[in-house]
Amino acid sequence: MLSRKTCETAARPDQWVLIARDSLLELPKKPGDGTFFTRLRNPSTGEGALFLFSSCAQQLFEIKVFNEDYHSWFIGQTVQHDGRLFFATPMDALFLILYYLIKAEKEQGKFQPVDQVIVDEEFPSSHILLQCTQAVQSLHHVTEEKEIGSKKFYKYNKEKTLKWLKKKVVQTVKALKTNNVCVGSAVQSSTFIRSRQILDVTEEDYTRYAHGLISEYIPEDLSADLLKYLELPELSKPVAQPPVKKRKLSDKPVEAKEDYTLFNSTDLNKKKPSNKMTAAQKSLAKVDKSGMKNISSFFSIKSVSKK
Amino acid sequence: MMCENQPGTLIKLDLGSLTQAAHDAVHLLPCEIQYNGHAAVDKYFIPTIHQGASAKEVSFRGRPLKGQEIKIPAGYVGLVLEENHKPCSEEKGRTVCMKSTFLSFTQWNLETLPSADDCAVMSLMWPKISKAIHQPVDNEE
Amino acid sequence: MELAPFEQKNWGSSRLSSPVPPLCRTQQCCLGIDEAGRGPVLGPMVYGICFCPLSKKQDLEELKVADSKTLSEAERERLFEKLDSLKEYLGWALQILSPNVISTSMQQRVKYNLNALSHDTAIALIQYALDSGVQLREVFVDTVGPAEKYQEKLQERFPELEVTVKPKADALFPIVSAASICAKVARDYAVKHWKFLEDLEDVNLDYGSGYPNDPKTKEWLAKNLDPVFGYPQFVRFSWSTAQSILDSRAVPIRWDDSDGHEKASSKGSQSMLAFFGLKKDDMRRPAHRFFQERKLETARDL
Repeated sequence: MLSRKTCETAARPDQWVLIARDSLLELPKKPGDGTFFTRLRNPSTGEGALFLFSSCAQQLFEIKVFNEDYHSWFIGQTVQHDGRLFFATPMDALFLILYYLIKAEKEQGKFQPVDQVIVDEEFPSSHILLQCTQAVQSLHHVTEEKEIGSKKFYKYNKEKTLKWLKKKVVQTVKALKTNNVCVGSAVQSSTFIRSRQILDVTEEDYTRYAHGLISEYIPEDLSADLLKYLELPELSKPVAQPPVKKRKLSDKPVEAKEDYTLFNSTDLNKKKPSNKMTAAQKSLAKVDKSGMKNISSFFSIKSVSKK
Repeated sequence: MMCENQPGTLIKLDLGSLTQAAHDAVHLLPCEIQYNGHAAVDKYFIPTIHQGASAKEVSFRGRPLKGQEIKIPAGYVGLVLEENHKPCSEEKGRTVCMKSTFLSFTQWNLETLPSADDCAVMSLMWPKISKAIHQPVDNEE
Repeated sequence: MELAPFEQKNWGSSRLSSPVPPLCRTQQCCLGIDEAGRGPVLGPMVYGICFCPLSKKQDLEELKVADSKTLSEAERERLFEKLDSLKEYLGWALQILSPNVISTSMQQRVKYNLNALSHDTAIALIQYALDSGVQLREVFVDTVGPAEKYQEKLQERFPELEVTVKPKADALFPIVSAASICAKVARDYAVKHWKFLEDLEDVNLDYGSGYPNDPKTKEWLAKNLDPVFGYPQFVRFSWSTAQSILDSRAVPIRWDDSDGHEKASSKGSQSMLAFFGLKKDDMRRPAHRFFQERKLETARDL
């Protein structure tokens, strides 16, 4: 008991629920070259984060975790206290390499072989990024290249990088639209405003939202440059005030019938409003509904007094 | 803390364990059960699930739950990873193996009807958006 | 007594009833209400109503139904058979609230206490009689709580009826005694023939009366505890007897509305920080709202 305690972090779980791309499960071609988790530098924050390399480092996976309070799992005939849900999704390793290219540009500012650029004592696994062939082959998106003899030398190029990032933004916008992600600006204060919002969503809202997502993978300075490159005006406040007109609409409840007409009259009828609420609103809404529903469902009578 | 995970340490994922992995029923509960280990799920929980008016229903510790079946996104697989702690003295790195796999799970809410707006359901959209962010861009200028 | 409709869904609430005697639709009637199994920590709670024309009150008196509690189980069963045979002028209906309904109602986010549950059930049964065409005039109700408030509540709900709420009404009014017998027989039957939904191979059925102070019941509760699930649905989780055993001997569970004191408050401040995307070691850039809205975080370690 005692020895166990001294060598384990008490809080560390020993079981995890993970949703992973099925390609991860392909067995290694060379024995011994396995699949493993490791910590690498998050290119946005510069801090350590968990990643996963598939066999032969063919693919890098990012690890996100759904972490909401008050969850646990039943798995077969067991209970797992830790109710988190991990995601392993394929990641473009070029984002991680880019971090080091920018750093090298700031510090040395010269053409270098890429294996000299990716040196990180704090995260020794970083050098494995060089085995991600697809990423290494796409270095031209973010660098100028020089070939001397058989050796290639690279230098960070901001213009090329911005062009590359813009393409990323464009393909992300496409996915946001097909998946009906609610990108409307402003934090909504009620369901009524929320369903309204979808009608007012502009191309700019999508681009800004996608820019925000891409910014999760690039340093802050580059994120600001990308914003300019995308010709998105900088927002003075993070939250835009909804125009007065919209607020008026929200003052009175919107009837469902009216809502549908509005949806059908626009080409946005495919986009269902995905209801976003703050956690507090959500729990309030839930409380209300549940209280009423359960009581009335027990009895067939209409007015049930509950005290 | 000799066994503390140091930065840069690799945690091996033993793919070979997949062949022995179980196919367990998986349920996400709306409460924190402060325990890891055996639970008589097949005795107490599974037989008491019934189809309610608009969702699956069950109760847990005398509280009403409503649930929905959630499919793992296409191209993905659900895994339960387990780490078998080795004695501290061994200087070997950590290894996790696959204990169980699943392609859907049941998400339970306390009292409220499960919906597409539940955070857990919304989080499952991540692979689709992630794909757009991370897939290689077209090469042509 | 046949409780099939309840037994098929013994996690819920079921109504069983006799056919409504034609006489009750044409003549002014009285109706009695009583409950059985309010106190026990095990099994369902049953509400019973009986109704008959005012003109038949005397006939009922001659049946010597008396207070069901003073009768043996066999006597009650015999009397129920008798009552059930008076189809030309006596009708009855039962509402059986399963222990699961009691547990889950009382432990709802918006607590639904047992008195409210009782009152609403009684109201629903009176309404059932009215909806079935029974020409109700007088209603007699047995109560364990304060009679005046309950009477007020019922009278307000049914202004056209003469409502009498009295403690021990089951000993005072034959129509309430009759209702009491129906409820008690149903409760006894349901407990005796309880079909456990759980897959419990050799559950010991020697649980005594089900009252919390019965040593046999206590022993049963102590022995049949599952550390994760607690009890089968036969047990009323909301009873303090069950609660205290769960609190001391079962795995602790926390719900988002748990009244955790210091823990809850620290959680609260934590989620405020999380709302703004601020973590004590990550103050620079909040995660994009796509991730915040989905409670998705970047994993740092396994």
